[in-house]
Amino acid sequence: MSADDAAAQPTSAMLLEAWLGLEQDEEGFWARAVPGPPLQAIEERLTSVPTQFLDERVDIVALYSDVVGAAPSWLAVAARHPDARLAVAIGCWLAASTELVGPFHPPLPAKLIPLWISALAFRLASVSPPRQWLTVADRREEAARTILLWNMLLPAGEDLTTARSLFDARDSLARNRLLTTVAEEYRHRMRLVRELEKKRAAEAAARYTNV
Amino acid sequence: MSDHPDDPDLHGGVDLPEYEPQAAVVLTDAERWPTLTPDGAARLDAVRTHPSAPAWVHAAGDRLDAEGIVAAATPLPTGDWLPDHLAAARELPAYRGIRDRLRALDDFPLVTRDDLLADVSRFVPLGADLDGIVQATSSGTTGRSLVLPEHPVVIARTFHLLHRLAADAGVTWEPDPARMALANVIRQRQAFTYASVLSGFRQATMARLNLDPAQWPEGAAGRAAFLLDHDPQAYSGTPTSLAELLDPRLVAGLHPLVIFSGAMELSAALRDDLRSAYRVPVIDVYGLQETGPIAARIDDGPMTVLDRRVHVEVLDPDGRPTEARGEIVVTAGENPLLPLVRYRTGDHARLTTLPDGRLALDDLEGRAATVFRAADGRGVPSVDLVQHLQAASVRAWSVVQDASGDVVARMVGGDTATAAARIAALLGREVRAEVLDTVADLGEGKPRRFRSDATVG
Repeated sequence: MSADDAAAQPTSAMLLEAWLGLEQDEEGFWARAVPGPPLQAIEERLTSVPTQFLDERVDIVALYSDVVGAAPSWLAVAARHPDARLAVAIGCWLAASTELVGPFHPPLPAKLIPLWISALAFRLASVSPPRQWLTVADRREEAARTILLWNMLLPAGEDLTTARSLFDARDSLARNRLLTTVAEEYRHRMRLVRELEKKRAAEAAARYTNV
Repeated sequence: MSDHPDDPDLHGGVDLPEYEPQAAVVLTDAERWPTLTPDGAARLDAVRTHPSAPAWVHAAGDRLDAEGIVAAATPLPTGDWLPDHLAAARELPAYRGIRDRLRALDDFPLVTRDDLLADVSRFVPLGADLDGIVQATSSGTTGRSLVLPEHPVVIARTFHLLHRLAADAGVTWEPDPARMALANVIRQRQAFTYASVLSGFRQATMARLNLDPAQWPEGAAGRAAFLLDHDPQAYSGTPTSLAELLDPRLVAGLHPLVIFSGAMELSAALRDDLRSAYRVPVIDVYGLQETGPIAARIDDGPMTVLDRRVHVEVLDPDGRPTEARGEIVVTAGENPLLPLVRYRTGDHARLTTLPDGRLALDDLEGRAATVFRAADGRGVPSVDLVQHLQAASVRAWSVVQDASGDVVARMVGGDTATAAARIAALLGREVRAEVLDTVADLGEGKPRRFRSDATVG
């Protein structure tokens, strides 16, 4: 890949790969999720995002630093893609709103803010354009469910089974064949690398020729 | 055999940490040879602890259980395997996006070593069973090493292939508990060495040995003592290492049934020397780590394409099939973890059909064909030089032309003066000849047999 390619805007597939590269343990988050705030509370907060957060000229690295703190390395990747940038801005609004508007009940754990913003920027923005989170009910619900999952929270009133099946039903990734394939190939690559790096594989087997 | 950089031990001249004795060893003997009997273990122990044994750098087994032993001894059927192979390959991640266009073999794009280096997982089927896979490492003379996934059964099939090639050459090769079955030899400053057992050959022993005398505690004498005691039934190795077998002490006491050469070109002179020293077939095997063995020969004739899952094409620089010399492109179906289609070998040959209908590779030459510049500006392919060197019974050589056109030929054995004179006539230039005593004097590993830095007019 040339330097020009590397600096170019990442495609949706690259956003998804960036997310997979963070190797977050989705199963673990579901397994440890506890009851959280109502889904509707998150959705309402999303629709109330001030227009200045949606301004494409906003410097999301500065915004993130103001609201959340030190910029993680993935932010530079997100900053190159309009959808990922907008997703970060919306995430920053949601994080800031807990002081500006009021906390959720129960509150979102502060230390997970970078994680769920990265989930919005890569996992969700790769398959669902952030502007639709504000305008299309299903996409907004998907965003709210994504935010709760990566806060290790279940929507209020839903048990694990219900929350998972409703999450799956709204999951845009499952409906995007190309990106589902990208995800599958990424996991395949990681698995092969892991298996080949195992010491058992590295001891190799006796060979008989020099070809 | 071509000068192909696919020997796992070619890492240049520096001491590498992986060559610290036993540094990469993790399995138990029971895991290396799941069916190992007390008798087999005793034979293995006798090899490992022989008083003149080298310092074993590594340990490795065939990892075959009872089921694996049967599978390894059973060649994959070769009748009409290609359509299924292509159907499976079509689903590889590498072909996502162009899958619909890939109907016949020649619809597939050519694959290069760089493609595998960039991301080998794109050439591994998504549903592949990765349990029990092992690393196969291929180190190029330039660039990074390539780590490929292989399965122990696929690797062990190579032993049975050697056994079949020996049988085809009229050799009766039965396991003999008193002798080592196979010595896989190399000769270089650093190499992985180990003692092993052939689970599917009545647990006879084998060993990978570095014939560099410096690697043996007692030097060449210890090397001879070890080899004479175990008297391997078969040898496989690079020409450089096989040349060591011409040591008169070894010729006097060893009784090989067959000798296999691989990894680079076996000169006719060295083959003849080995054959007259031991009076056994010397089989030259051509293949790559990525594809496994592709073709073999026991004489000066073309390399016969092996009866296994390899499909060979020879293509011109535009990628079209040619009856002239061209690049060997191989479709390889022996390793289900790496179903390659149209893999560019970088080696060149002419594809011919033998009288019995089998395909063969003629004028095989390794890597990108080197072209020398004659005094009148003509390009002279290195294969032309090979003929003169072989005619003069030169056993090994390195012929280098610098940018100004000056040629230096470093040669081992044979009538070097005649060879130099013929090359000089061919190129219309003076050739400076250097006569070396042994093949090892050409340098470590595989020397580049031919190089020309002169631009052809």
